[in-house]
This record gives sequence, structure tokens and C-alpha cells, in this order.
Amino acid sequence: MNDPLKQLSEDTPRQRFVLAETGFNEVPKKYRKFYRRWQGSGDTLALNEVLCPVCRVVIRSSREIRPGDRVYCMPCMSRLVVIRSATGHLEARVAY
Amino acid sequence: MPDFLTAYSIQNWLESCPQGYLEQTQYGHAAGESEASIVLDSPKLRDQAIQSTVQLVVGERCALAASSGLINAAPDEGSKRFLATQTLDEARHVEVFTQRLLDLGVRKTELEPLIKEHANPHLVAFAEVLLEKIDKGDFVAGVVGQNIVLEGMAFTVFEMLYATNVEMNPKFAHTLSGTIADERRHVGFGENRIGSLIKEHPEKKAEIERMQKEMSFHMLATFADSFRESAPAIMEAQGILRGTNGTQAGASESRWQGRSLSTLAPEEMESLLADSVLKEFKIRLTRIGLDYQTPVAP
Ligand SMILES: [Fe+2]
Ligand SMILES: [Fe+2]
Ligand SMILES: [Zn+2]
Repeated sequence: MNDPLKQLSEDTPRQRFVLAETGFNEVPKKYRKFYRRWQGSGDTLALNEVLCPVCRVVIRSSREIRPGDRVYCMPCMSRLVVIRSATGHLEARVAY
Repeated sequence: MPDFLTAYSIQNWLESCPQGYLEQTQYGHAAGESEASIVLDSPKLRDQAIQSTVQLVVGERCALAASSGLINAAPDEGSKRFLATQTLDEARHVEVFTQRLLDLGVRKTELEPLIKEHANPHLVAFAEVLLEKIDKGDFVAGVVGQNIVLEGMAFTVFEMLYATNVEMNPKFAHTLSGTIADERRHVGFGENRIGSLIKEHPEKKAEIERMQKEMSFHMLATFADSFRESAPAIMEAQGILRGTNGTQAGASESRWQGRSLSTLAPEEMESLLADSVLKEFKIRLTRIGLDYQTPVAP
């Protein structure tokens, strides 16, 4: 499966998203729509997006992302676990 | 070989890098692109571009020496193979930034004397601190020094330079975007490989933290020198941009970290860059289980 959302924390139904190309070219073609460049402060994440803390690329899934999910960042090859931060935002932590 | 390392393979590198974002590039940018005339036509801006590109060449030569040196110090096959790809990436960075010096009008015969003359002594010292660890075959300290400290700095500097150049000098911005893509793999390897190794070698923490403090000091001193020397050129570029695009300052400008680079004073830019890199060090080091050490102010 090409989607970076590798393991869901729970099985309840999730909102679906149709992904379009974002101009991100740093991974092989079939994976490109799953990533986009982070625009820095002022940029916001959609329900199906999480920021990679290692390489600052936005990881996008065709499904909504929730805390406890496991995602993969292909540009820096990090395996990440999604958590909810103190401020209520979704964040990714590296799973060493 | 640790399982996660299989992703850092030469096959993956081929598919994403030479057969991916570098396909059909020449020295990192599209064929036919050239340095912006605003840089070539102003002696002050051209000089400043040469000065700052020399520092990029010096930094990349350090990364080339470090990554190649780490191959033999690496304890496992997967790391050796990844570091071989990184060695080629760093050699490419040395090449594209050296090519930029030629594009800016430096003659081939002048290259080495020019680099020697203009290399910032603090940047040279920064490299020496790191290369000393690698010469001793210290893999853990070497990876932290290279893939977290050196590359954490390079990553942020490249992002700032990219934001500055994306409108003004697309050719150089394109060269930078390829190096930023390479850096993502390098910092990724650093964190993923070292995150587990630090846990196995807690006795190395104090020495590595000292190295980070020393490298950070030399980095801050390099930033201070660079921004002081290039202040007149930065202000000239800001003036030209405001004049040529006919907009109010800040209306059509390059933004980075939420700030307008076209209106910041050089010393404000310096502290924005220094704060961003140090904050980045702190976050990355904490993640891998090291305590960030605040450097002495230069
Ligand atoms: Fe590099
Ligand atoms: Fe690098
Ligand atoms: Zn990443």
C-alpha cells in the first residue's frame, strides 16, 4: 500500500480524502501525492495531514489521521506515531 | 542490520534522487538557467554572493570528509551503504556550490586561493571539532556532530537562503531545493540511527554534549561575521527589490519563519537564523536523549 498511514489506532469509520498532486517531487512518482512542503507559520494541517518533525514535510493520507496511528515519512524515512499535543494539535513522534 | 535501515538503501536513493528530483538538472538547476542579473550586475551583491557561497563550499567539504570518514567507523552494513550515498550527495553539494562560484565569475585558477582567503575561521574550527571525532573513529559522536549539528544547521540555512532567493534568483533557489531534499534523508538517518545508539552508550553523552556546545559557539560566531560583512549588500538587495517590483516594502516579499526577509535589518536576520537553528538543535537533541548545551555567546 502506498498510503503513508500504515496502522490505524482503532477501527471506527474515518473520513476519506481524494489526494491531488502538490508539486512535491522528492519521492518516486507514485508516492508524490502523499506529501507536500510545509509552508511554515501560517500553514495549517487538514484532518488527513500530519507534520514530520524530522524533515518538516507534511504527510498526507487518503484517510483522516488520529492519535495512536502509525505513519511513514518517505522523504526522511522515519517511522512516526501520531499523538495529541498539549495544545490539542496532532503531532508525530519518531518511533526509534 | 537494524530493520529500519533497509529503507536507507542505494536502490531507494537511486529512485528518489538521481532518477527523481535531480533528473534533467545541470549542477542542481534546470538547463539554461543562469544567475539573476540583479546579482551579476551589482559588484556589491556579486561579492556578497561569492563570500557566502565560499562558506557553503567549506561546509560541504566538511560534510564530504565527515560522511566518507564515517563509512569505515560504522558498526553495520546498512549504515555503511547509507553513508556511501550521503558521501556522493555531499560531493555533489561541493560541486554545485563550486560551480556557482564559477558562474559568479570566479576564474578556475583563482578558486582555491579565494576559498582559502575567505573561509570563515570559525567555520573552519567548527569543521575541525567534528573531524577530530571522526578521525578517532567515534561513530556515535561523529553522527551526532554531522547528521544532527552540521546538517541541522545546513538544513535551516538552506531553507532561509531558499526563501531569500526563490523570487530574486530562481536558478540558485533550484540548486538549493535539491540540497534540501538530500538533507531530509541525512537528518532522518542521523536521528533514526542515533536514537537507539545513544541508549546503548549513555557513557558517551557528556563528551557529545561538549562537542555540540563547542560547534554551536563556532556556528554563532560564523553567523555574526557573515551578517556583519554582508550588511551593506543585504540592504542594497532589499532596496533594489522594493524599487524594481514597485511595491511597498513587505508587500511582495520573501517570508521565512513568519517574518518578512525584505524588511528585516541584517542583525535581526542574524538573530532569527541563530535562534531558529539553536531551537532546532534543542528539539532534535532532546528527541534522541541528549541534553542541549547553551553555547557561550561569541
Ligand atoms: Fe551537504
Ligand atoms: Fe548533508
Ligand atoms: Zn520526514
